[in-house]
Amino acid sequence: MTKVKTLILLNILLASVVLPLRADDNKSFLSTLRRQKTLTSTIPHNGDLNPYAIVVAPVSAGRIQKGDVLIDNFNALSNLQGTGTTIVSYNSASKKLTTFAELPKNNPACPGGVGLSTAMTMLKTGWVIVGSAPSTDGTTRTLGAGCLMVLDANGQLVATWSGPKIAAPWGNMATIDNGSTASLFVSMSGFDVPGPQVRDERGYPVTVKKATVLRIDLSISESKPPVITAQTIIGDGFSQRADKDVFLVGPTGLALGRDGTLYVSDALANQIDAIPDSATRTASAGTGRVVTKDGLLRRPLAMVLAPNGNLLITNAKNGQVVEIIPTTGEQLAAQWIDNNPAQYPPGNGDLFGLAMKLDGSGFYYVQDDVNSLVEATR
Amino acid sequence: MKRLQSKAAGLAYRALFASALALTLVAGQALAQTSNPQSVTANWGAAQDPNQAELFWGEHQAGIDTKPQHFIYFAVFDLTTSKREDVVRLFKAWTAASSRMTQGETAQPLESGLQLAVPPAPPTGEDADAAPDPGKMAADSGEALEMPAARLTITFGFGSGLFVKAGKDRFGLASRRPEALVDMPTFGAIDQISEMNSGGDLAIQACAEDPQIAFHAIRQLARLAQGVAQIRWVQLGYRPMKGDRHLLGFSAEEKNPTMNAPQAQTVWVGSEGPEWMRGGSYVVVRRVRFALEHWDSMPQAYQEQAIGETKHHARAAESASPSPSPSPENSLVEEHPAGHLSVVAQGRDAMLRRSYSYNDGVNFISERWPPWRQGLEYDAGMFFICFQHDPRTGFIEVFDEMAKRDYKLNQFWTHVASGLFAIPRGASQGEYIGQPLFEAR
Repeated sequence: MTKVKTLILLNILLASVVLPLRADDNKSFLSTLRRQKTLTSTIPHNGDLNPYAIVVAPVSAGRIQKGDVLIDNFNALSNLQGTGTTIVSYNSASKKLTTFAELPKNNPACPGGVGLSTAMTMLKTGWVIVGSAPSTDGTTRTLGAGCLMVLDANGQLVATWSGPKIAAPWGNMATIDNGSTASLFVSMSGFDVPGPQVRDERGYPVTVKKATVLRIDLSISESKPPVITAQTIIGDGFSQRADKDVFLVGPTGLALGRDGTLYVSDALANQIDAIPDSATRTASAGTGRVVTKDGLLRRPLAMVLAPNGNLLITNAKNGQVVEIIPTTGEQLAAQWIDNNPAQYPPGNGDLFGLAMKLDGSGFYYVQDDVNSLVEATR
Repeated sequence: MKRLQSKAAGLAYRALFASALALTLVAGQALAQTSNPQSVTANWGAAQDPNQAELFWGEHQAGIDTKPQHFIYFAVFDLTTSKREDVVRLFKAWTAASSRMTQGETAQPLESGLQLAVPPAPPTGEDADAAPDPGKMAADSGEALEMPAARLTITFGFGSGLFVKAGKDRFGLASRRPEALVDMPTFGAIDQISEMNSGGDLAIQACAEDPQIAFHAIRQLARLAQGVAQIRWVQLGYRPMKGDRHLLGFSAEEKNPTMNAPQAQTVWVGSEGPEWMRGGSYVVVRRVRFALEHWDSMPQAYQEQAIGETKHHARAAESASPSPSPSPENSLVEEHPAGHLSVVAQGRDAMLRRSYSYNDGVNFISERWPPWRQGLEYDAGMFFICFQHDPRTGFIEVFDEMAKRDYKLNQFWTHVASGLFAIPRGASQGEYIGQPLFEAR
């Protein structure tokens, strides 16, 4: 166990070294960004909508080129949430969007069907793992437990994982990838969530504090799909709530700090929490330590680690991305990356997924309002 | 039955009167058109008697350059027969019935009962007793009796399914499919078009000054088609009694006179098309649902920017954007094009627009744009209709540009039904619609 822990910490340290550090490492990362550019529509040939997860390919494998941006869609053409089945791929050299995978709507091994969520990652070995938080009517009335699906680098489904610890895999995945082993961190927001018609005494859909963060340890043999070696709940008691309009609100952003702390964006509590020793702990930390709360946060969603070690978080309720120092909780800045005045406040409801560019010069994000992939750079 | 016959005689008289009036107006229109002979809408500003009959026979089918009536019933059919002779019989029956109804008459003479386009085979087997005899049914459902012709026009179109469907050449017409009758591309962000709300083998546009007259026409034609064709999807629409503001509250056409004044060669197929299409046109129809609840919550300034027009001349918009506005120092702002009218300006004269508003009450809607909403919402918007000699250089070119660049407005509409149909040239008395196509060697 000590050996594994050492390897994981070494990996995290190496990862931090390859990211470009700037002279003034405490300066706001957001202040270095100057340009925004819409790269592509994210709508594939079958009309799927509502882009959620974004993953930048760490390697070239199969049909994927290193640096390609993979984006999944949560809605089918019907626009019902929890029914999307496609992952599209954007290649920055050709500027082309292609459909990387179109999964079967009815996968018997995936309880409730397929509706691709913000939980997605690509391993160095080329495997793509994506979560399903499915419905049949666009609301949690018909929420299924869902699953995690493993695709090869050509977009073919090769394995489906479900079980008692998997319920509506929801948030953007954090990943430790050592090649032959890997750990995935996934938030589960579907435990005992009633339909949006069930209200509390304030008139809101009932908040259920049963969301978890699950660490899934994998073993990966050459040319064989990953195999789960352990599933450990490292955080629990997070708030989750049905919503008749936006389907589900729960812990959404997961990002690994340089010291192995896993940061969790708790959307309903409007705060960022920290779970220490995420790669090695064998027991749940509950909801962990509160890093920061309220201030510039407006229902935090996806979260990534910037090259300077700060966290970038997209807001659900306006078009801003917020930067915080994870060790101190200081909120450094908020920047508008979607100022669409058709919503109030501008950009409200537009942001979700977020992913750093491989060279650390900026990030990709989705604009749900116009189903587009956008790049923010220096 | 006698009573029906006497009413029919009365109708015939009214039709004669209406026809005479129509001829007078047509003569007037001809005079008006001399001032701008190339414009297909030269007469649209002229007053029309809402009771008059429109001519059915002619080089062009009516309902294209006809001044828009206030109501439309648009119906798309799938052919259920596999026999070409059935399709020919259908168009003979439809042509005969349409020529009567547009003149204020019943669909068929009332004396002999309903005469289906293709008589059904004698019923056999266990359903024999349950099959009704069409000859004992009224030749006309009767809801238009004692009503004027109400400027009814009936316009027929051929969808790609008439030529090839699922790879099959059902009627031996595949080689005659015009190049311009393309498969409609999708328009990305603004399309939400399901199989059930698109395509189709045949289309009928019935326009009238009375909604009951328009529906009556479609209802009779669908009756005649039993066993040959069945309805796939329909759309009702209307235009306001005064002006032409659509449900977003603007009247772009009114302020841009060229919008509705394309030249004749823009609308009518010429020598570039197959012989049977010369004098015909291509129609694209789109049911465009407006997110009215969201639109109504927007500042007037936003609406005016999105359209590119002033909404209320008497009350100018005060603010350009809702607060809080992102300040320049903390915003990565991407430039977006100006309003709708400037985005589509290039294609303004590429097609003849003849659109209607539609209102299907409320339905469960999963809203496509933020603020996210799911529930009962207005199912209303525009039934966009345009005619052109080639949709590839008309609608498709213009809408491709719009889908990509009409940023401000695209968030307020969703295209939920679509169709492209070849409108064959009109028929002379004694011919039937589509005859040159079906009988060409």
